[in-house]
Formats: sequence, C-alpha cells, structure tokens
Amino acid sequence: MTVIHPNMTDESAKIRARDVSVFYGDNKAIDAVSIDISPNYVTAFIGPSGCGKSTFLRCFNRMNDTIGTARVTGLIELDGEDIHADRMDVVQLRARVGMVFQKPNPFPKSIYENIAYGPKIHGFAEKKADLDVVVERSLTRAGLWDEVKDRLDDSGTALSGGQQQRLCIARAIAVDPEVILMDEPASALDPIATAKIEELIDELSGRYAIVIVTHSMQQAARVSQRTAFFHLGKMVEYGPTSDIFTNPIEERTKDYITGRYG
Amino acid sequence: MAEHTVKAFDEDITRLRGLIAEMGGLAEVAIAESLDALVRGDVALAESVVARDKRIDALETEVDKLAVRIIALRAPMADDLREVIAALKIGGVIERIGDYSKNIAKRVGMIEGRGRFEPLTLLPTMGELAGDMVHDVLTAYAARDPDLAREVIATDAKVDAFYNSIFRNLVSHMVENPSTISSAAQLLFVARNIERIGDHATNVAEMVHFAATGVYPPEGDR
Repeated sequence: MTVIHPNMTDESAKIRARDVSVFYGDNKAIDAVSIDISPNYVTAFIGPSGCGKSTFLRCFNRMNDTIGTARVTGLIELDGEDIHADRMDVVQLRARVGMVFQKPNPFPKSIYENIAYGPKIHGFAEKKADLDVVVERSLTRAGLWDEVKDRLDDSGTALSGGQQQRLCIARAIAVDPEVILMDEPASALDPIATAKIEELIDELSGRYAIVIVTHSMQQAARVSQRTAFFHLGKMVEYGPTSDIFTNPIEERTKDYITGRYG
Repeated sequence: MAEHTVKAFDEDITRLRGLIAEMGGLAEVAIAESLDALVRGDVALAESVVARDKRIDALETEVDKLAVRIIALRAPMADDLREVIAALKIGGVIERIGDYSKNIAKRVGMIEGRGRFEPLTLLPTMGELAGDMVHDVLTAYAARDPDLAREVIATDAKVDAFYNSIFRNLVSHMVENPSTISSAAQLLFVARNIERIGDHATNVAEMVHFAATGVYPPEGDR
C-alpha cells in the first residue's frame, strides 16, 4: 500500500509514472509504482539499500535499457508523451532527461570539450562562438566558471572530486534538459563540496525538474521539497518533504527516518 | 515503540523523559505543599518549598542542555523530533509552574486573621484541581496519551470557574472589611497563581498532544 499525501498529483507533472514495475530476470525490483514528478520542485527518493530507488530513477531516461536482463512495464510519460513509444528517440530522451551519477565521470578530455561535446552531437551549437556561449553559461550555472575559466583546456579529470561533479552537472545542463536525475550526486564528496552541490541543486530547481536519489536523509531534507520513501521495491509514502520528516503517516517511513530501521 | 538502531539515542530520549518526569513530580509536590503551608500558616514548610524550587530550575537547565545535545548529535526526525522539541518547551513551562508555587509559598507569612477568610477553604480544593492537571498531564506525557491530554485541557475550565468565584468572594470581603484588604489581596494573588498553573498545565497538554500525534488539539478544546 502506498500513502500519497494530498495535492501530490499534478496536472502539470513533468514526469508521470503509472504502475511501473522493473524486473531483473525473474526478480521484481520495483513493484507497481505510480508517481507524478512536478517541474517546479526537487523530488528526493529515499530508502534503504536495495529498495529500488535508483532502479526507479533510471527508468525516467530509459537507462535500464542498457541492462540486458532488465525489463520495465507500466507507463512513463514525459510531458504526456510515452517514453517507451516507438517514435521516442532514446538519445533525444536522454538529452531531455539528463543524469548525474554518484562518482563524477568526466570525459578524459578538456574541460571545454566536456561541456561542448553534447551540444555538438545534438546539433544545438556548431560554431565556435556559439559553443563558447554554451560552455560559459553551463559552467556558470553549475557554479564552476570562476574556478575554471582560465584553464578550460586542462583535462576534466584534473579537477577535484567536487569540481568534477559540478563539471558533470554543467555537462548535463549544456544540452538544455528539462529534467535532471541525480543518483547519489554527493556521496563521494566531502562536506564542503557536498554543500556546494546542494546549493547548486537549490539554484537549478525551478529551471529544471530535479529528481535526486540519496542515502542521506539530511540531504533529502535539505534539498528537496517532495520526498518519496521506497522499501522493498514499493513506494511506501510520497509527500511534502517537511511533512515526511516531521509527521510521516506510514509506520515504516517513520521507523526509517527516525533510525529504527534500515 | 521500536528501538533505534543506535542504542545511545534511546538512552538519551529516555533520560530526557526522566528529567521531565522528575521536574513534574517536584512541581506537583510544590503546589500541594505551598497550599498546605498557606492553610496552616506553616512558614517553615513554605520556606522549604521556596528552597526546593532551585532544584526544579536546575533540572530545567539539564533538560535544555540534553535537548540541544540530542538535536545537534542525533538529528532527530518525525516523532523523535517532536518529542525533543516538546520536552524543551515542557521543561520551561514546568519551571514556571514551580515559580508560581514558590510565589504562593512566599505569601504564607503575609496573611493575617486567616480564620476569617472563606476562600482559604476553597483555595486548597482549587489547588488540588490544578495539581491533578499537572499530575495527569505528566501521566499523559509518560504514556504519550493524547486523549488524557485533552481531558486535562477540559479541566482548565473548572479551575477558571474556581478563580472567578474566589475573586468575587474576596472582592466583596474587601468591600465589607477594608482592614483585611492587604491579606485578601495576597489571597487574590494566590488564586491567580493557581489559575496560571492550570493554564500552564493546559499548555503542556497541547504539547503532549502535538508530540504524540503531530497536530495540536482541536481549537474547541482550548
């Protein structure tokens, strides 16, 4: 059973999932989850390891397609379009729904090329002058411009971990996505770099729909306005973050966030 | 309630609840003994009530420190968070209740001609009612019982009724016997203090309800 707080279904939902299940072979990792993701908020997925929250997140840009044994059932719509429809170009989909991973994974190229690569292959910008604009804008939004503007030709991998992660966020932003998925984006970073990422998430929210998977409940509480709690492949409770952390309805949610389980 | 994975968290919460219970117990005794001293004119007992208020004050400081420590080190959530916040506020309110009892005790030596005041027989009954509210609200706190908390809130109307009745009685007494105004005024303050104790017990009841359920009791109760 899923408890969904009032006003969590959204006519203007960016992503609408209905009865989504994910199987790895015979193993059901996600069991009939339905959720509306609002374009205006940061949505956090929390839950113990193995609860399926990352698996569910990866459905939104069909990252599970890359896993041979994975099978996704149910409906996922992006702006009312079925993302599994034949006419949906998965490369385009992943440009519209960007992703940032736990470990920063810059391309082994220059900082400039890390950002310019996406716009180039997607044909958003070809001329050097246009690319320059995109690179500066993306790095500025990711809060990295001032730190790297004099060394754009240095390798992306030469940056610190926190800078690399912001580079990856800038790279995701460069192709002008509508949604940014973040899978534990700060768990490999120190507290200051984490704070910078969280500040960045705050600044980006409203411009992009952001969905973040995190093990840190404090982080979910800090950065999100909506929180969904997952347990054993099911979505247990979905509501405003402040309600989930002060007065959750479901006993399992309460036990998890108060440190009695998980 | 299930235990926390981190056992020391449970120990902290248990200790916090223990401190509140101890404070409440001392406040209950202070109410009863201050009125006992008042009725019997027992100045020695009154002085002892005043002296023991320091212990309640010290406990409040301990509650504050522990609650702040729990918030800083354990980052409590949901009902744990409400519990700690409630304890922080309840500690402050019980300290006030202790102050009112101390204030009653301080007036014991200032009453003259005690045989002539009818309210002296009413005040202990009123005080008992307020003392029961404090007792019940602490039971509700210990049991996390929102229903009992609501009963305590309902009782406050009776304490208020006592106050109004004693107030009228004392005012007419003052009109008829101007020579007793000084003592009567002291008793008026005593009645006022008991009435405030009832109000504070009501506040605690609201916090107990909030800690247990996440919502304040319905407006009609208050």
